[in-house]
Amino acid sequence: MSQQVISYADLSIINSALRSISSDMKGVHSELGTLNFKQDQLESELVKLADSFADFVEADIKHKSLQLAETRQGNLKQDLQIKFGYYAEVRRMATGILQGVDTGVIGEDTLRFTTEEVMIKAPGYWLAPALVSLTAWIRNDKSTTEKALNEALKRDDYKTTLFFMMVMRRLTRNDASLKWLERYFMHQNPHNLDREFIIILEAVTTGVFPPAARQLMMVNVKNWLDQLTQGDQFINEQKSQWVNFFVALGPLSEGKYPLLEKFSSNWNSLENSLKEAKTHDILNTHFKNIISSSADFSKGIKVQLDEILSLLVTNFDDEELPLQEQVRLNQLIIQMDGDKNAAQSLMDAEKHIFDEKVDFLQLLTNASFNPELSGATKVTQALAVSISQPWILEAYDTFTAQSRNNIPQYIELSIDDFKASTKDGSEENELLKEQESYYDKILETELGKISFPYAAVIIGILICFLGLWAFSLHVIVGILGCGIGGVIIWNSVSTYKKAKNRVIENVEERKQKAKEVLRGCIAETVDYRIEHTSEDNKAEQVRDLISSITPEDFSSVSHETARSII
Amino acid sequence: MARIILQNDNINFSTDKQSITNGFISDRDLLKKRSKKYLDLIAGLDAKTLTETKGMDELIKAIQEEFGTAELSNLPLGILSKCFLGHPYEVHTLDLSGSQIIKHYKITETMEAEFEKARSVAKHNAYAMVEIYKDKIILIREDGTATKL
Repeated sequence: MSQQVISYADLSIINSALRSISSDMKGVHSELGTLNFKQDQLESELVKLADSFADFVEADIKHKSLQLAETRQGNLKQDLQIKFGYYAEVRRMATGILQGVDTGVIGEDTLRFTTEEVMIKAPGYWLAPALVSLTAWIRNDKSTTEKALNEALKRDDYKTTLFFMMVMRRLTRNDASLKWLERYFMHQNPHNLDREFIIILEAVTTGVFPPAARQLMMVNVKNWLDQLTQGDQFINEQKSQWVNFFVALGPLSEGKYPLLEKFSSNWNSLENSLKEAKTHDILNTHFKNIISSSADFSKGIKVQLDEILSLLVTNFDDEELPLQEQVRLNQLIIQMDGDKNAAQSLMDAEKHIFDEKVDFLQLLTNASFNPELSGATKVTQALAVSISQPWILEAYDTFTAQSRNNIPQYIELSIDDFKASTKDGSEENELLKEQESYYDKILETELGKISFPYAAVIIGILICFLGLWAFSLHVIVGILGCGIGGVIIWNSVSTYKKAKNRVIENVEERKQKAKEVLRGCIAETVDYRIEHTSEDNKAEQVRDLISSITPEDFSSVSHETARSII
Repeated sequence: MARIILQNDNINFSTDKQSITNGFISDRDLLKKRSKKYLDLIAGLDAKTLTETKGMDELIKAIQEEFGTAELSNLPLGILSKCFLGHPYEVHTLDLSGSQIIKHYKITETMEAEFEKARSVAKHNAYAMVEIYKDKIILIREDGTATKL
């Protein structure tokens, strides 16, 4: 019953509704198309924005850490001032007393009073009793001298010994000074030297001490070197530190090769290799600076002694080291424009400077890396470099060999998915040809994707035939049929042709652009290789420079040769 | 004034830090300057007729003399150096591990892995040759100084 009803039902309404829906759908489809297009646009905008945002964040982080480092540095310095500021005062007093006694304008009472006050104000600091002892000695108070000296030695044996060695020398009590020196050496173990040892090295290098002291020193140094360089361990340690130091000195990137940076897939290794090659030049000036620095002999012995004395006393005492270390890190962050990683790697190279006890080779290395931080002057740096010369040379050879081993043999290019590799850019023509055929292939596959509209053409032809057949029924219907068929055929063929032309144009444009980029990349490759080779060649100059350094050059630069000692 | 002060620190003459070098070649020996004779011998490889057995024996003897040992394990696996035969030859190897032959390689030819890794430094003008060991390579400059890598 019900089936019958349906079979007679009028479906035309549903049909027309379906038709209208499908026409609506068409509208929706076209809307979707425009939406898709807009979304693509939006996406590319967004990617651009994200890129610039990432750049901004990076710059911002650097900027912030720079600011933070600046504030922190200030705070830490203040901290140092608060905690150890009084030490500085005592230190200044040491040279003050000596100079005051020289001129004879300070009364004994003042000396006594001030030094005893210091003794109370700076508990636990070795320099206070040393000063008391000194002033007691000046006014011939034997028992106080001995008591205070005992106390000073208890607090810091090495520094007190050193201090009195210097003071005796300053007061030209040469024999006493030599005795102190001898005693000092007996204490030393080349595997485990005190940081202060650098000051002795300094004093002897600059010829402040009488020749006998220097001979004593050189004999000791030679023995230590023999002892330490027997095995591989100590030398290898220094060598690896030097290699790290060389690596850390590398320059920052310059952005000189924008195309390679963008289109070379192994740009990172290319850039690193160039940086390593450029390090040679930096090292050249570095070492030249060191060996060309000479001592200033215009100063009198007393002035120089005072300087060394103040070096001895101002070189932070061990309890200050942790704070000094942090100050240094923040300084480096500021120096590297807020780049924390770069600062940390420099800091790691310098780290051993802050070790409290070092072996003799390490001490030399510290003095060579950063004389100010390890408490020496440029002259000592030169001496340290000259003594370490054999393993600096070895380390430099290793560094050079490593960097040469890491030179990328090929420059890999990836332009618009066209992969190519070139050695030195000499294959320009071949590469351009390869690129040409690559784009020919792309054109082929792209064209292959657009199929000829057979279906539409066949339908058109069929409609034409129907039209021809319709001529027998009615002429107008026949003409209409043929016309519609013709239009369908013509339409589909012309859209096909247009699509084809578009693809050809598209690929042609890509090809032209890619060609320019490839040419640019090859030009940059040639420049890169030229620059790399010339920078790499500088390694030989640096090597000659380092080879030419000999210890004799510097141990002879002293007051004895410049002028006679008082 | 000058008092004898008690030594209150133990002097620590530690000897345990020194590495034991018995039966092991230390870096000092390994990196010693190579003799002129040895360098000349290796440099002359291009010019010599390679089939001469007598020349080969002499060469091996000279190498053993240079390293102070006839033990195969302490000698390098081989020696790699620039080839001056001209294009397309780039490098040549002297295999010391057993076969003891000299082989010339063209630019496009690849060598065994151990040798291949030293190829780029061997081509560098600063180095006269490269000694290949199992665990390291040693670069020799024209003046005979050695660098470990």
